Amino acid sequence: MAVGEVGTRPRERVRGRGSRTPYLLIAPAVLAMLAFLVYPMASVVYYSLQHYNISKPWENGFAGLDNFTRMLTADPLFWQSLGFTARWVLVEVSLQLVLGLALALIVNETFVGRAAARAMVFSPWAVSGVLTTGIWVLLYNPTTGLSRYLADLGLMDYGAAPLANPDTVFAAAVLAELWRGVPFFAILLLADLQSIPRDLYEAASVDGASRVRRFYHVTLPHLKDAIILSTLLRAVWEFNNVDLLYTLTGGGPAHQTTTLPLYVASTAVQSQEFGYGSALTTAGFLILTFFSVAYLRLSKFGART
Amino acid sequence: MASRRWLTAGALVVTSCLALAGCGGDSGSDGTTTITFWDDNGGPARTPVWEHIIDEFERDNPDIKVKYVGIPIAQAQQKYDTAIAGDGLPDVGGVSTAMLANLVARQALEPMDERIANSSLDGKLSEQVVESVRATVPDEKLYFVPMSTNMGVFWYRADWFAEADISPPASWDEFYAAVEKLTDTGNNRYGYTIRGGAGSISQLLEVLYGQSGIDEMFDSSGRSTVNDPRNVAALEKIAGLYRKYTPEADVTNDYVKMVAQFDGGNIGIMQHNLGSYTDHVKTLGEDKVGAMFVPPAENGSRTVTSHPVSGLGVFASGEQKDAAFRFAEFAAGKEMNGHWAAETGVLPANTEAADLEGLAHITEATSVLNDPETRLVQLPYYLPEFNAITKTDAEPLFQKVLLGEMSAKEFLDQMADKLTDAQAGYEQRNGG
Amino acid sequence: MSTDLSTLPPADPAARPAPDQPAPARPNRALRVARWQIYLPLGLYLLFTLVPFYWMLVFAVRPRGSTSLLPWPVSLENFETVWNGLGFGVFFANSLKVGVAALVSTTMIALAGGYALARYRFRGRTAFMVAMLCTQFIPGAMMLIPLFEVFRSLDLVNSLWSLVIAETVFQLPLSLILLSGFIRNVPVELEEAAWVDGCSRLRGFLVVVLPMLRPALVAVGSFAFIHSWNNFLFALMFVSEQEKYTIPVGLAFTLGEFSVDFGALAAGGVVAAVPVVLVFAIVQRYLVQGLSAGAVKG
Repeated sequence: MAVGEVGTRPRERVRGRGSRTPYLLIAPAVLAMLAFLVYPMASVVYYSLQHYNISKPWENGFAGLDNFTRMLTADPLFWQSLGFTARWVLVEVSLQLVLGLALALIVNETFVGRAAARAMVFSPWAVSGVLTTGIWVLLYNPTTGLSRYLADLGLMDYGAAPLANPDTVFAAAVLAELWRGVPFFAILLLADLQSIPRDLYEAASVDGASRVRRFYHVTLPHLKDAIILSTLLRAVWEFNNVDLLYTLTGGGPAHQTTTLPLYVASTAVQSQEFGYGSALTTAGFLILTFFSVAYLRLSKFGART
Repeated sequence: MASRRWLTAGALVVTSCLALAGCGGDSGSDGTTTITFWDDNGGPARTPVWEHIIDEFERDNPDIKVKYVGIPIAQAQQKYDTAIAGDGLPDVGGVSTAMLANLVARQALEPMDERIANSSLDGKLSEQVVESVRATVPDEKLYFVPMSTNMGVFWYRADWFAEADISPPASWDEFYAAVEKLTDTGNNRYGYTIRGGAGSISQLLEVLYGQSGIDEMFDSSGRSTVNDPRNVAALEKIAGLYRKYTPEADVTNDYVKMVAQFDGGNIGIMQHNLGSYTDHVKTLGEDKVGAMFVPPAENGSRTVTSHPVSGLGVFASGEQKDAAFRFAEFAAGKEMNGHWAAETGVLPANTEAADLEGLAHITEATSVLNDPETRLVQLPYYLPEFNAITKTDAEPLFQKVLLGEMSAKEFLDQMADKLTDAQAGYEQRNGG
Repeated sequence: MSTDLSTLPPADPAARPAPDQPAPARPNRALRVARWQIYLPLGLYLLFTLVPFYWMLVFAVRPRGSTSLLPWPVSLENFETVWNGLGFGVFFANSLKVGVAALVSTTMIALAGGYALARYRFRGRTAFMVAMLCTQFIPGAMMLIPLFEVFRSLDLVNSLWSLVIAETVFQLPLSLILLSGFIRNVPVELEEAAWVDGCSRLRGFLVVVLPMLRPALVAVGSFAFIHSWNNFLFALMFVSEQEKYTIPVGLAFTLGEFSVDFGALAAGGVVAAVPVVLVFAIVQRYLVQGLSAGAVKG
């Protein structure tokens, strides 16, 4: 770690202990959260303890832990959707990170056409969810999509439908989400790469370190915090991401791509079992809290090397 | 200092935009009343039709201004739910019997009976349509001004039929024969497409009851007829088409994807309803699209399932109920209702509007509906659990049937049990 | 800017090379990567990126009923539909207002909070960070109704401000946490040196830290803007006026039961995406520090 240690330095100073400045600085953020998010979050927890179905008002009332008991003991879909969500988050975030990092490293090099390449590589990030899914619906559709035109050329048979086939639906959905998600990491990591002093690389290469070694000993340690934070935030985002799967597959075929929030949406919005939907949401909240804290602890976020 | 300049420029842009973003607020102090109207199916197809109706209305009623707000149909229910909870409903809005039980349970709508009786609409609205709106709610009041109803249709490629030298099927046997004959997978042609994704069940019920000829959702003892052996046989037949004569994509097809296939020219017959007429004609051309209705069952009677009635509801929270009703009355009146029906392809609720020169398939649909030989199966939109049972629960199971992971009988048994329970609960609550 | 800073003492002379040594104009040979190692993966990735855009373009410009995969001949009927028929001009302006306002408020608040997190140890710091994270754990759809009630009580329903606020509070945690990470990367010694030179803390921040955060601000700011530009659910639920809808709502109109219009969707998509992609193409330059910034590094 000879090279890596060059870059470490005390990153913060304990200053002005007891000073009011930090509180003033976080005050706007805290106030915004208090004013606009505390009540909505509390209401989710409140409704999770209620029988609340707007189309059956006569059944509404305090439920105690009924919703949670039902969820844990009598609802195989809860477990199934949770399992799928875990798989979805894991695959999406790791692929997005690896591809995003690779892209960031590539477009950080100097080469002809770099500005244009960067602009194009990042562009899917600017496309809205409604549109992303619309385009991918068309692309995967056997009548309007890629497979039809490949078949026109005689390269394959007509009728391939990646979103309908239980063997391919996962990969197809992952690919569509990657399209939009990779640029997130690429942008963020590219920005973070800028704060690595070039001299570190120079010094390392004078020492005869190979490019792979430089990557592991200079680049990666420097990006560590950014990677930890962005993977965490992205994981949460992918966990709660509803729009893409909802439009592409509707959670199907036969629940195969139903994430927990998608299940919540069909429970709370379509079936109007708002109480039970809130309980499912609360469960998701607790799961995410647990994993986030564990992740930050295990990854030793912010620890000085 | 380039970055400084950049920041300053940014700040300037921002300030000016913020100034622009300040909200204006309604200014209407010149004696006119402004009502807000929510169109529950906004979009390029229907928004222009409403704009025309509003223009006409405002010309007739210079003292009332109508503010049009379109809502994408997929989110219409959620928008109403949010608005009810947050006290943000409009004066008048598009509603249908599919969401009515809900809105009424939450006392969001104003009953229209008296207002209609005292208006120009009295006696002009189709009895059948009015009855099916009343049947949706326990107190049997009329909670919106009905404008149109709908009917299941098989849209077919007239040119394919001509090419294959067959005529549109007049029986279910002919239907299955045609589907087979029109299929040519090597050339990306499928005889039929099954809606397997969102919204699949109501279309499924139509082909099941259409084949079985059963004309009641519940038998006299209150048991659901969905899992009657004749319906099970019908489902096995229709599901047997999947991947042989219909595209593999069908299993997750919602309306949008189904239409992409039909309008993309790969499907011989697509089941939907009158409302999508303009979509197909715009894309494929009038001469290539034909409409046929559910063929008669083996017992000889033609059995169709009821479709939601849509219309305009006046919301109880509104402060301009008179003006709101005047708008609904105007829109359901002979002239506008006829215009609406002709432009959107659905059946007008105003009996006088039906006489207007309409489109061939509307006239035909009306005659099928009015034919004494036609039996109408009323779907139980009055059950508060109907959405949960037919969408949340049943849609994924139907996909399992298509994929061969569940038997037709098992699937229909499950749905029947839930419907029977829901019906029993309903009758208990309402002293049935 | 580099003139101010060249007078500063190096932060940690033992650990890092002298800062006044100019950065080399070109990377030295050992750092150069073979061209094919750049162009091959980049080319493959660009293919993946551009195919969906191509599809969008083709659907936007081809006439209804056509199945050709060539964007020729160009028909503008779809653009006509979305711009005149659906009123995308208004939606566009609204999206822009909300996006810019959300960008500014998010970045400002996040910058202050991120600085506090990065530079101070204070009571409740960890709790604050965890609380920020927690707000991200509940899908927006489940908070819709209570949030609507909050806006109702503030009389903000039907105002674009409700969208600005909702976007800001949902984007804030991400921006704040990411920015705190970036600020941490700026050597504190640089700031201290500025104070020694008589700068106030605010001035030290503005003169020393802010310029170095340019890539971070571009990244975080663009996240905030684009997130808001694309938000659909809030834009549909908190606003009930046709003239105040934003682009994603307009796009959703094109895919309804009884009216599927992929051409309009694609054309609307082009209208929505092209300006953002273009602006981002310009702004992305700032994601990468120029040479001057390289000389500033601690």
